[in-house]
Amino acid sequence: MAQVLAALRPIVNYCVGGTLVGLAISDRYFSLAAVHGSSMHPTFEDRTGEYALVQRSGLARYDFSRGEVVTFVSPVDHRSTLVKRLIGMPGDWISVPETLEIRKVPEGHCWLEGDNGSVSWDSRFYGPIPLGLVRGRVTHVVWPPHKFGRVDKRLPEGRVMPQRHF
Amino acid sequence: MAQLLAALRPIVNYCVGGTLVGLAISDRYFSLAAVHGSSMHPTFEDRTGEYALVQRSGLARYDFSRGEVVTFVSPVDHRSTLVKRLIGMPGDWISVPETSEIRKVPEGHCWLEGDNGSVSWDSRFYGPIPLGLVRGRVTHVVWPPHKFGRVDKRLPEGRVMPQRHF
Repeated sequence: MAQVLAALRPIVNYCVGGTLVGLAISDRYFSLAAVHGSSMHPTFEDRTGEYALVQRSGLARYDFSRGEVVTFVSPVDHRSTLVKRLIGMPGDWISVPETLEIRKVPEGHCWLEGDNGSVSWDSRFYGPIPLGLVRGRVTHVVWPPHKFGRVDKRLPEGRVMPQRHF
Repeated sequence: MAQLLAALRPIVNYCVGGTLVGLAISDRYFSLAAVHGSSMHPTFEDRTGEYALVQRSGLARYDFSRGEVVTFVSPVDHRSTLVKRLIGMPGDWISVPETSEIRKVPEGHCWLEGDNGSVSWDSRFYGPIPLGLVRGRVTHVVWPPHKFGRVDKRLPEGRVMPQRHF
């Protein structure tokens, strides 16, 4: 009995250590995420098993760029993580579609919109979203194979007036 | 030379692995944090070198309780982490001091206030704060030794009408 335990201990140590190393990499550097829903069509299509590579480094600095696709915690349900495109940074002026409104993005916030505006719940509904809720940037689609590739930066025409260089 | 590198490799592996294990524990389980400022007086006093034990597990569930002291990312500067007391959960009615306003805390948000109201920038200024910005709960003060002990749950009298059981 004592010998079995002694033999198991290095295995347990490696498993626990390996798990924590994996968690650290996934939380801080990069991870894979399954994407659902059609609010980001055609960047993501609503099918089972579409996976994105999410990069998390650089978040502590102002390392976001307008036009990138980001993951963020929902402002109305902290247990959900959503994916949208970042189109406005603090200070930017955003023209809200279908109205004559111009909105200014407050300090510490950003403006997020889905590529498929007709079905997307985003900043046009939630308002500006605190940058502290943004958790990573989507750099690539990794599955299914025919969709493999970079996710490009893109901004809607004529809707965003950047005010500052980030 | 080759022998030196071969001898160093296990040391490097252990250092890198150990660092990642430490980061995982600090991000997900518990960490120590230095606290500054007088907005939480007398729970924290504005002196150099006051350290709190921050517990991070349980955040993915609705494991917050009203009256706990929590750490959160500032809604106006995502590079700052602040400490305040959580006094309202989603759906709660909060009476805003010095006005006759009653505010309802929206879904996915909470109401945070400092113990030292006269100098605290909190939900009375920022408004309700998304739960996704809350990063941990402060359970103990660990330094200096004469302040060592639990941080108790406390709610201001007559200001909060809870609406739901969490």
